[in-house]
Amino acid sequence: MGSWLDYTINGLIIGNIYALVAVGLALIFGVSHLINFAHGSVYAVGAYVGWACFTYLNLPLPLTALVVIMVCGGLGVLIERLGLRPLAGAPRIAPLLATIGISLVIDQVLQILFTPDPRALPSPLPEWRITIGSGTIGALDVLIAATGLVSAVVLYGFLRFTRLGWAVRATAQDRDAARQVGVDTDAVNRAVFAIASALGGLSGLLVGMYFNHIDPAMSFQATLKGVVAQVIGGMGNVPGAVAGSLLLGLTESWGVALFGSSYRNLFSFVLLLLILVLRPNGLFASARTTPPEPMTGTFIAPSRVVRVPPWAVGLAVAAAICVPLIPAIPYVLQVLTNAWLMAMLAISLTLVAGTLGQVSLGHAALLLLGAYASALLTLDSGWPVWLSVPTAGVLTAVIGTALVAPAFRLRSHYVSIATLGIGEIVSLVILNWESLTRGPMGVTNIPPLAIGGLELDSPQASYWSSLAVLIVLAGLQLRLLRSHLGRTFRAIRDDDVAARAYGVSLDRYKGIGFAFAGFGAGMSGAIAAHLYSYINNETFTSTVSITALTMVILGGMGNVLGGILGAVALTALPELFRGTAEYRMLIYGVVLLLLIRFRPQGVLGTV
Amino acid sequence: MVLSRRLLLAAATASLPLGRAIAAEPILAGVSGPLTGPNAQYGAQWKRGFDLALDQINGAGGVKGRPVAYVFEDSQADPRQAVAVAQKFVADPKIIIELGDFASPASMAASPIYQRAKLVQFGFTNSHPDFTKGGDHMWSNSTNQAEEQPHLAEFAAKLGFRRPAVLHLNTDWGRTAKDAFLKAAPGLGLEVTTAEGYLPAEQDFRPTLVRARDSKPDGLVLLSYYADGALICRQAHDTGLALPMLTATSTYSPKFIELGGAGVEGAYVLSTFFPGDPRPEVQSFVAAYRAKYSQEPDSFSAGAFDTMMLFATLCDHYGPTREAMQAGLLDIKDMPSVIYGKVTFNPETRRVQGANYRLLRVKNGSFTVWDGVKAA
Amino acid sequence: MSQPLLHATGIFRSFGGIQAVAGVDVAIAPGEFLSIIGPNGAGKTTLFNLLSGHDVPGSGQISFDGKTITGWAPERIASLGIARTFQHGRVFGNLSVRDNILVGAHHRLRAAKPHLPGLGALAELLIALIRPASVAREEQALAAEVAEIATLFGDRLTPRLDQPAFSLSYANRRRVEIARALALHPRLLLLDEPTAGMNESETAEMTTIIGGLKAQGHTILLIEHKLDLVMRLSDRVIAMDDGRIIAEGPPEAVRQDPAVIEAYLGHSHIGRAVETVT
Repeated sequence: MGSWLDYTINGLIIGNIYALVAVGLALIFGVSHLINFAHGSVYAVGAYVGWACFTYLNLPLPLTALVVIMVCGGLGVLIERLGLRPLAGAPRIAPLLATIGISLVIDQVLQILFTPDPRALPSPLPEWRITIGSGTIGALDVLIAATGLVSAVVLYGFLRFTRLGWAVRATAQDRDAARQVGVDTDAVNRAVFAIASALGGLSGLLVGMYFNHIDPAMSFQATLKGVVAQVIGGMGNVPGAVAGSLLLGLTESWGVALFGSSYRNLFSFVLLLLILVLRPNGLFASARTTPPEPMTGTFIAPSRVVRVPPWAVGLAVAAAICVPLIPAIPYVLQVLTNAWLMAMLAISLTLVAGTLGQVSLGHAALLLLGAYASALLTLDSGWPVWLSVPTAGVLTAVIGTALVAPAFRLRSHYVSIATLGIGEIVSLVILNWESLTRGPMGVTNIPPLAIGGLELDSPQASYWSSLAVLIVLAGLQLRLLRSHLGRTFRAIRDDDVAARAYGVSLDRYKGIGFAFAGFGAGMSGAIAAHLYSYINNETFTSTVSITALTMVILGGMGNVLGGILGAVALTALPELFRGTAEYRMLIYGVVLLLLIRFRPQGVLGTV
Repeated sequence: MVLSRRLLLAAATASLPLGRAIAAEPILAGVSGPLTGPNAQYGAQWKRGFDLALDQINGAGGVKGRPVAYVFEDSQADPRQAVAVAQKFVADPKIIIELGDFASPASMAASPIYQRAKLVQFGFTNSHPDFTKGGDHMWSNSTNQAEEQPHLAEFAAKLGFRRPAVLHLNTDWGRTAKDAFLKAAPGLGLEVTTAEGYLPAEQDFRPTLVRARDSKPDGLVLLSYYADGALICRQAHDTGLALPMLTATSTYSPKFIELGGAGVEGAYVLSTFFPGDPRPEVQSFVAAYRAKYSQEPDSFSAGAFDTMMLFATLCDHYGPTREAMQAGLLDIKDMPSVIYGKVTFNPETRRVQGANYRLLRVKNGSFTVWDGVKAA
Repeated sequence: MSQPLLHATGIFRSFGGIQAVAGVDVAIAPGEFLSIIGPNGAGKTTLFNLLSGHDVPGSGQISFDGKTITGWAPERIASLGIARTFQHGRVFGNLSVRDNILVGAHHRLRAAKPHLPGLGALAELLIALIRPASVAREEQALAAEVAEIATLFGDRLTPRLDQPAFSLSYANRRRVEIARALALHPRLLLLDEPTAGMNESETAEMTTIIGGLKAQGHTILLIEHKLDLVMRLSDRVIAMDDGRIIAEGPPEAVRQDPAVIEAYLGHSHIGRAVETVT
């Protein structure tokens, strides 16, 4: 079969491209145990710097590459110094979130500087190609492959044979021990970020040339694929990252061959989950495992909770209930209705991420599940809305928990990656399962909220229904937190090894936590579906997951009132700052960074 | 609330052309669309088209002595924000028509709000067949896939395609287009060998192209936007896939050539809008656009221009009120347009028939009118 | 020896070619106080992890009260009544001292074990939300019990029951760990260096407390470096080195054993080797 050769070659070519990003991610993870979500942004910066060098300075490729390496290396040092080093003593979730914030800021700055339009980045390389199978390989393909290989070899040599490389390995192995024998671990971190970022920038340049296309949105896709490839190869394993990238490229290419392009990312993420569940150390990890008394220290910031007096809560609830009595403010009601719906998602996420310590990056998938469940129940099965919405909550709880169950055995970063993957899988299945979901056309004519014959489609009615559901869900969650379950969840979060030693089954309690969270998030999605009357697979995107996480952090992890406060603040503030249109997301990123730096426990504190 | 009101007014004044401020109260259209987020590029194109139209309208003294202006609210094409924007617009009596949003999830989520408030929602990029079914106040002059695709199929046949393979964006737009194309194809003697959907964020089309190639087509039909269309053509070129390419109107953009490079050379592009079109409305639009922005217009900016001109005409003929907008759209006949020769709305579908379709070909890095020679 | 409560035979565990535990047999009788000593890296903590189910032996068998528990999950082993503390102290930092101790009682909670096969987790959730009177009573009784356990430690913990554990001193965290272990109503108590990081007077205080536990009839397996404590309390001592048992017997005999003295001296100058990353 000639075509299989073509699929294989194409898979290796794209795998090569993923490798360029994955190597940098692996290097950083190896030393800092950090998934650098800002890596894709550095990659995008590399592409734009290259574009500027070509366009304004007419530099030849080698000089352009040099400039890109220097600028991005410098940017890496800056990220390490300003964004991450101040968090050295912070809980491990802080640097992870900081890289997400840095990524938001960099992407937005790029978009403001260069406009969101895609730009061409023509390759100055000679136009020669050789034919292999029935396809061809060009000079750029060779250059990309060579860059990937050479950088892997050089890195290997650097780590193995130089003094700084020795220090990097020592730091990766045991930071404290390395410091004790005189290794300047800050210098090591700086060097690692500089090298990885320089490589990331160079990748952006080369990949931009390969596609002749750069745009500010390229960053997220690059990070996503780089992380997947890295997990396949084994987190922090540099040669493994290259191998994992090639395997990912092949899997995608063969997957397209078998089922078509729409399924491509489904293959990436299913592969990701399989690896995470079956070989969490990656395909190429050595058999050596570490004994299971890991270091203590928690993923979540220790903090004291700000006690909100009950009368203040009561007053706020009463005020919220009375808002619709003010005449002629449908816009305010709509914004607040959105805030209540986001608050349902936020308290759901704060339960799993804050109380249970499982930082989910795919929570928007629960909204999708709930929205589709309720929409299809009303339209295809003729259920009344008042029944379909809670049923959608139950279905979301069941499906969501079942989907995430394989990830119950995972910890910290791995949970985040797995949930990110699960979120994408849900969205792709909804897109592709046309007989049930109507595919990309989405579901139209979803009936409005109603109880019996009473239609709740006025802004006031939507507001009160959403608020009522939120109050009930929040009340239940507070009750749950005060029960033995709250204690057990938080014990799992703080130290799952110790929790197990006292008879706490992780599967059981993670299951209960995700089910309760899924119910609330599913209700939120279902109500939104009836308010919008139309949904498709893009109604709730991964951006919503990140926004929800920001709300949770803002309010304080695990803090129900904090989650609601975060949701109201982050729904209302962008509305207030409408005048600053293009800068909105930038402000958002900066606020996130400042929060992580100066109040990692959130406004109301971690519960 | 006070703060946002002030900002709204600030935004409204900001969109007035500075040179010839007209003293009277402006007539306002509300625009809901993406200025940030992944679709921000389209919002930016809209603004260029709108501003150009406003230069001409207000330069000629506005409508009945009042300037025309718009309030652009960034929705990021996100349904949550689009519904908030909708509430804001319907509550503001100065807004007499709403233009947008960009993507179906956002536009159609907001439709019930506009419908209840009887404010016309004019979706000029909304090709989802159900968009105008959301209520009698949903209108669209977006090119209609049910109309466009038979034209595309017809040109495919004229080019000598017998067995085309179709690559389409797997979104509501791409699906509508694909279904319409597949429906029209058999009647024109076309046997579609395969229809491959792909995701909007896709960049690597090599395996998809191998899949298409293996179906043994004699041409490729791309139901794509310009950025992905350019990527596909380039990668087909790079992998040595020598098939003639025929692309939908949405690829018509200078960016298609810029991004596609040698890959799009020789590609056939269907277009409703072509700067070389001798019609006077096209020529004046293109000349003004080039003068103002030093770049070539594309079909998004042309659509935005047409829409703002239509709005001004509606105000002029029927009066600057919400009711007049609805009545005017039902009544207006033969409104001149860049995209369509003349615009008349079908009162049943609330869409426009009869866009001017012509086939272009990329030659030496620019669009030229197809010379009528069949593809090899 | 009478029928042992815990019996481990032929236990092996290796990490990447290094034999951490190489053929160890341990038996502890009900009511016995057994200590394990040995230099750092001798395999003591690894052995603890194997006994408590946090790690699985490469080969060998572990039985508790006649049941084979090899390969069981830690939560299952805990529910048999084996409680452990950790070498570096693992309290739940954001939980109050009271909640930390209450987690120790988790496996005894009736609210956590509703009699509904298959739907147990769902029932547990509903019971927690509804909070029937029986559950409230159970929590009240447990709270009283926690207060009582806390008094074991004098006034060290009692005034701090509502403080988050992260705010405690190191020594107090170790006390919380022991209190948590006691809340499990353990049939076997595994203590991993309970006095690590404590000064002399704190160590003396802890020695008294552990002695008290022994007097109450608790069965205790202790890892400890402070030989005074070991000598004072142990019925029997096992000395380990390089994953093997090098001496076993009454405290004084083991202390005088030349192999034990050699092991302690021989290891005194070993540093930490830096391993490779890639």
